Amino acid sequence: MHNPSPLIPYPATITKIVDETGDVKTFTVEFDDPEVMERFGNKPGQVAELSVFGEGEATISITSSPTRGKFLEFSVRRVGRLTSVLHQMEVGQKIGVRGPYGNWFPYEMMKGKDLFFIGGGIALAPLRSLIDFVLSEQYRKDYGKVEILYGARSYNDLCFKSDLFERWPKCPNTKVYTTIDRPEEGWTGHVGFVPNYVEEVNPSPENKIAIICGPPIMIKFTLAVMEKLGFSDEQIITTLEMKMKCCIGKCGRCNIGSKFVCVDGPVFSLAQLKQLPPEF
Amino acid sequence: MDARVINKGQLPELLDRLAKDYALFAPVREEETVTLFKKVAGAKEVALDYTNSDVSPKGCLFPQTEKTFSYIYTGDSLQINKNEDVQNTVIFGARPCDVRSILSLDPVFEGKFVDDYYAARRQNTVIIGLSCNKVLSTCFCNAFNSGPCDGTGSDLLLTDLGDKYYVEVNTDKGKSFVEAYGQYFASQGAEQLAKAKEELAKTLEGQFIRQVDLGGVKEVLDENFELPYWDKVFKKCLGCGICTYVCPTCHCFDIFDFTTGDFTGERFRCWDSCMFPDFTLMAGGHNPRPTKKERVRNRFMHKLKYHLDRYNIAGCVGCGRCIAKCPVNIDITAIIKDLKEVGQNA
Amino acid sequence: MMDIAQQLREQAKKLLEEKKVDLVIGFGEGTELARTTPVFVNNPEDVAVLTWNPFCANNLVKYLTDYSHEPGKVAVVVKGCDSRAVNRLIADNQIKKEKVVVIGVTCPGQLDWQKVAAKISPGVRLKEVTDNGDSFTVKTDAGEYKFDKKDYMLRRCLVCENPNPVVADVLLGKEQPVKNYEERFAEVKALEQLSTEEKSAYWDKQFSRCLRCYACRNVCTVCTCRECVFDQMKPMWVSKRNNLSENTAFHLIRAFHVAGRCVDCGECDRICPVDIPLRKLNQKILKDLGDLFDAPTPGSRPDLVSPLGEFTTGDPEEFM
Repeated sequence: MHNPSPLIPYPATITKIVDETGDVKTFTVEFDDPEVMERFGNKPGQVAELSVFGEGEATISITSSPTRGKFLEFSVRRVGRLTSVLHQMEVGQKIGVRGPYGNWFPYEMMKGKDLFFIGGGIALAPLRSLIDFVLSEQYRKDYGKVEILYGARSYNDLCFKSDLFERWPKCPNTKVYTTIDRPEEGWTGHVGFVPNYVEEVNPSPENKIAIICGPPIMIKFTLAVMEKLGFSDEQIITTLEMKMKCCIGKCGRCNIGSKFVCVDGPVFSLAQLKQLPPEF
Repeated sequence: MDARVINKGQLPELLDRLAKDYALFAPVREEETVTLFKKVAGAKEVALDYTNSDVSPKGCLFPQTEKTFSYIYTGDSLQINKNEDVQNTVIFGARPCDVRSILSLDPVFEGKFVDDYYAARRQNTVIIGLSCNKVLSTCFCNAFNSGPCDGTGSDLLLTDLGDKYYVEVNTDKGKSFVEAYGQYFASQGAEQLAKAKEELAKTLEGQFIRQVDLGGVKEVLDENFELPYWDKVFKKCLGCGICTYVCPTCHCFDIFDFTTGDFTGERFRCWDSCMFPDFTLMAGGHNPRPTKKERVRNRFMHKLKYHLDRYNIAGCVGCGRCIAKCPVNIDITAIIKDLKEVGQNA
Repeated sequence: MMDIAQQLREQAKKLLEEKKVDLVIGFGEGTELARTTPVFVNNPEDVAVLTWNPFCANNLVKYLTDYSHEPGKVAVVVKGCDSRAVNRLIADNQIKKEKVVVIGVTCPGQLDWQKVAAKISPGVRLKEVTDNGDSFTVKTDAGEYKFDKKDYMLRRCLVCENPNPVVADVLLGKEQPVKNYEERFAEVKALEQLSTEEKSAYWDKQFSRCLRCYACRNVCTVCTCRECVFDQMKPMWVSKRNNLSENTAFHLIRAFHVAGRCVDCGECDRICPVDIPLRKLNQKILKDLGDLFDAPTPGSRPDLVSPLGEFTTGDPEEFM
């Protein structure tokens, strides 16, 4: 079934729901028409529009890597009207999905390089699509060492726990660093904020790309650390969040200067970001 | 291209026929003071003695409220029915500035993702432009290499020359239209009227009160995002949506669902305004354009720079509606002038 | 008129120099002949931008709430109609009385700029305006024009209740007589004569062309809610869909929301881009409040409470 209109969602069914944290759930979604998935062709870092019928649409990053199977995963924090309703939905219920939209992580450019992922809170979601992509059997050989540094306020706020503690550490030439903001009973791992932990881990900028995603304040302090460590603006990749509605570059609200985040982003290198007006 | 003549006495008959054959949008006067483009049933409703409509005809192609689809979701099955409501349409009497604005909207709705709602309407619409017979104090279409008798974008351009309309046939679509309604379009006398039109155009061009020079303005905006100037402009803004809703090139919209709580519902898109605080407010509470200052700046940057950067065509056509309608006299031509000065003093 | 402009500048300069206020909000020359624009003066050296003429239609009191949480005092130039809004904002606790210095100017009526612009090229410069009682003489650098008030004034000014400000710390201009005030509900009374179906048809026609630009709300001095019910997303009482039913809901909810507080400045009506006669809605309520509760126009005295905001044993009960 070819969908001629970019504003019409494809019917899809929720096949699995994982409670990540108190207010984050990961929804696994499969298109009702398998052919749609064949043509979907999402690349790591892209976003999609989720329809909750009766509530409208929200732009959510696709957190699953296309290498993992014929489904899409979306990690959604309960913040507004639509996401509250989505959180009440159950396996078997239907939503709408259209996309994929936006640009993607420059995984071609990253080939042959070491990758250092830095994430905070829910913002591990967009990174996860690329992490799983480079760790996939198919592409693992194309990339060097993969390190993932991730933090959240508390143990309960850590998303993707099975990935963090089971799946990813078992992958070859891969290391996962996890931290929580404050000490907690039962937590034996690192305690402290993400930027400080990055400084402690002290990654060398040599042949390395850093991919950073998190709340604005975390990004701000982390960027300062990266600069201190000698990373250039071209070596730092991040994704932006803006209010989006159409996601196809027409409705006009996600512009930063002349760029629309929905079609020209959400992935930008720090060098590109510095060319944009500071309005995000 | 070809030129023809319509005798004014025959126009009502032509309009009546068009109203039967097409969805005919034309200027309509309400309460003696307001002119709007509306779908009409015949010539009687059409107001031809208007200067420029209060609201532009952009809504004929991009309605203020438009259903994109309806759905039936019973819990087990989900059915989505796209709204395919596209009629063969004639827009009659659009002024040259408003026709130019459609050329400015086209690239927005085209591109990698073609907005098929707009595209279908656009494709099925014949645009009959109407030259101006008067230049208003707020008009400045001449700043955009246009003018009161400019036919760019019109399939046909009519010029009122007393008891006749001079008709320029500008496109193939216009040509087929004239052929289909041949009895109303005489060939005889067109040559003499061509001269009269030239003269009218020349006279009108001398009537512009506003002499707006855009030279250097984009360069100032290219170089400067932060300008102390914006601190002066925004304070008086009331944050209403008049400028964006009367603007023929503004195209921002919102999308949302309407349901009465049963299994059915509809999705709509509606004009939205970048002047409203919730336009960029995210669900989590962050707003990248939190105050009137950022919003006012964004609107003018959009008109004078961003649209040009993206589509290589200005996001303003000089129709002057925002000047005439702004309750607090925020005047884009004054802003252009001030920005030029900023550039010269830099 | 030019004298008053000069006095205004002097007063503003004095207030700023003596640090009695940090900001003066007044009228400045607009970009066209018959228009003015709100100006914000912080510096005594900039008072020359202030002006006064019969094109000062805006109600500048609207801007006071922008400064209610900022330090410093604000002076605002008001006409009689606007001054009612000062009383109302203070009564509604939207702004502290001690924060505001009211520069009142008596007002012989405001001209409808569009009507004037249709007569004189708006591209010319205004030199002087003289008030002849029943008319204004407008001198421009392209000549002199005379405008009869009855034909060129804003409708609201023809039946003005308060040509002299009801509150003012500084008062400029000579006292103006109240004229034709008793006729102020003429349009409402005419509407009341219609049958229910006719009234409904009348308003359907008006509301159906509403653009929902919310200018009527945003220009309104008593629309001070931190989050307007029409902006609220959760629940969404009125959606952005533009149709007769939701447009009607918007206007009626708004009219009832400002009932008993609307100071009848008429700005919503004046600035509507599609000329919806909004003042008739507000005036209908105003008239009913007068008939039912003997309520004066909100804001016309500083001590007034909203007739809908208090209960007295004498309240009529027929409608309950």
